[in-house]
Amino acid sequence: MSELTTSAAACKPRRRGPKLSSVLGVAALLIVTVIMLSPLWFMVATALKTTKEMLRFPPTVIPEQFAWGNFKELFVNSEIKFGRQYMNSVIVAVFSVFGTVLSSSLVAFGFSRYRAKGSQVLFMLVLSTMMLPYPAIMIPQFLLFTKLGLHDSLLPLILPNFVGSAYMIFLLRQFFSTLPAELYDAGRIDGSGEFRLYWSLTLPLAGPVLATVAIFTFIWSWNDLLAPVLYLDSQENFTLPIGMAAMMSSKFRLAPWNLLMAASILASIPIILMFVVAQRRFVEGIVLTGMK
Amino acid sequence: MRGKGKWATVPLGAAVLTAMTATGCSGGGGGSGGEKVTITHYTIDSPDRTFVEKLIPDFEKAHPNIKVKVTKAPYEQFDSKLQSAIAAKNAPDVTSHWGYGGFMEYYNKGMLMDLTPYLEEGGFKASDYNIPDSVMDIYKVDGKTYGIPLNSYVTVMLYNKDLFDKAKLEYPPTDYEDKSWTFDKMVDYAKKMTVDSTNLAEAQYGVDFGWGERDQRPQYFGANVYSEDTWTNGGKPTEINLSKPETIDAYKKIYGLIWDQKVSPTAAFSKSVSGQFGDPFLSGKIGMSVVGSWSLASAKDFSFNVGVAAVPQGPNEKVRSVLYVDPLFVLKDSKHPKEALEWIKYLITTEVQEKSIELSGGNPPVNQKAAEKYYSNFEGIDPEQIKQVYEGAFKYGFESYNHLISNYSQINELFINELAPVENGDKKAEEVLPVIEEKLKKLLQRVNE
Repeated sequence: MSELTTSAAACKPRRRGPKLSSVLGVAALLIVTVIMLSPLWFMVATALKTTKEMLRFPPTVIPEQFAWGNFKELFVNSEIKFGRQYMNSVIVAVFSVFGTVLSSSLVAFGFSRYRAKGSQVLFMLVLSTMMLPYPAIMIPQFLLFTKLGLHDSLLPLILPNFVGSAYMIFLLRQFFSTLPAELYDAGRIDGSGEFRLYWSLTLPLAGPVLATVAIFTFIWSWNDLLAPVLYLDSQENFTLPIGMAAMMSSKFRLAPWNLLMAASILASIPIILMFVVAQRRFVEGIVLTGMK
Repeated sequence: MRGKGKWATVPLGAAVLTAMTATGCSGGGGGSGGEKVTITHYTIDSPDRTFVEKLIPDFEKAHPNIKVKVTKAPYEQFDSKLQSAIAAKNAPDVTSHWGYGGFMEYYNKGMLMDLTPYLEEGGFKASDYNIPDSVMDIYKVDGKTYGIPLNSYVTVMLYNKDLFDKAKLEYPPTDYEDKSWTFDKMVDYAKKMTVDSTNLAEAQYGVDFGWGERDQRPQYFGANVYSEDTWTNGGKPTEINLSKPETIDAYKKIYGLIWDQKVSPTAAFSKSVSGQFGDPFLSGKIGMSVVGSWSLASAKDFSFNVGVAAVPQGPNEKVRSVLYVDPLFVLKDSKHPKEALEWIKYLITTEVQEKSIELSGGNPPVNQKAAEKYYSNFEGIDPEQIKQVYEGAFKYGFESYNHLISNYSQINELFINELAPVENGDKKAEEVLPVIEEKLKKLLQRVNE
């Protein structure tokens, strides 16, 4: 009897339980979502405020009048040159991704497939370059590119990507090492040369990790400020981060936060797009490289 | 492999092309007679600085042999770009200390060209450009001129007229000779406007006393952190007076505004209403703000009515305002100092200085004749009042320490870091000052050796 009652008593809340807990769960998720989205909301709201409203404290949650003109201002204001900077950033990012994926995968393929005397040492040497922070190499690199006459062009931002990146080489090599040797034997039996093994066999199998490399490189290049500042002199060559940093450069004037937020929204679009497109492969890539 | 080879040709091709263009350029302009030279003007990438680009066409018309190129960087990266350009022997010809470093830092690093011979050769007279001699002297070391003043900012008091009206207070005076306007009276006024509350929406404060940098602030109270020889020996203090009673008292008064009188905003409040580097005065929740006159330029955007007043009379009868005179330098590596100087001289003529006020959105000219126009540049503020405040500030002014002291960025950082616990209310000024003195002495010993 007592057993029966306990099981009945246990049954009751169990039936209600999932309902309540799922409601609570959803509520908790909603709260966290709202908290996570609030900076984003603040960005959008500020982008649509007039200068006077932007300065008000406490800030208004919803703009009193929507200043859509802020977005237009970015493109028509000849001092900002937003469109041009956007284009430059896209050029640098796209070529950087292309260069890094191509060169790093080639080097990683070499490190993972061939054994030679000193190849481990060589790999360690490549990895050790990860320990050099950019400020340590920036002056010598700057001198090099200035001597080559490439100062004030986008090339110094793009070209280094075509000689590989230690971090990406490491990432790719770890992935390539997990591919079975039998696969390559089969390829060789079918008459593939070494380049064919790399191009037609390894790369198609490495989709997730290549997506990861592409996204990382894109984001790094897209956000990079210091290198463009050093190399670029003419406003026509400026990239987005320089333009946006310049908007709050004056210690003598109000920072146009509304324009800056409008610019931030537009600047985050390519990253969001890239992530949405590559998301499935990207997550897969992280899981795989982490596991194996 | 093929891909790599193809790309390897890109830098090579581009290098050849650039080299060809470069040689073509100098070849075309070569010849000793009408040799055309290009000078570079390096500045911060913000409209109140880059407006100089609009002055170039007229200058080039008048000087057909000189071409001016403007290069720029955001404020935060100004110094790193300049340093790498100098390292790469690609230094600009004309610039100023617009980044974190100041004049003495540039001077001691040997970055600046002595302009004296060129000025003498051209028969330069400061009076031709209506620059007071005292202002010209700021950038002289041992009688040699290293910089030509361009803009002169002063310290002013801005006040929120709406808050004054609400508290039924009389507006503060603009006349520096009105000695009834004292520090104590300012504190009284501030008390009447302060609502000290933990609720951010309700809280408001009477005064934000942003007089000079942290190490200069005691000067207002008659105490000097550095020994007198600092101003004559190239900005290298031989003695630090941080543990002297008058200095400790000065800091107690400064931070007493926040923690004892509770009439000034805490650092936390300022950050929450205006962000990391913003000015809390803009939020409309500060009654009076003692601040650099650059804040005037944004006055038209404020969401409240703003007035300008004299900095009140403090214990120091001689110094009531910090002056920030921005110069232009010719860098030592410049190959065309004469042409660079021509450009600088052009920028300080009355006509160009007047034009610059509007183009820059309100930069105060160093040329006193052009200054008349500057005073009437601010909507809603009587030009006579601005003029009076400026004239008083010049009379009772002292140049900002950051222009005069060597290795100032490191010193300033030390003060900011070490005084943070005092600003946050965790420690008392008298506890940290001896520590700062100790650290500062070590720092100076290291950097000035």
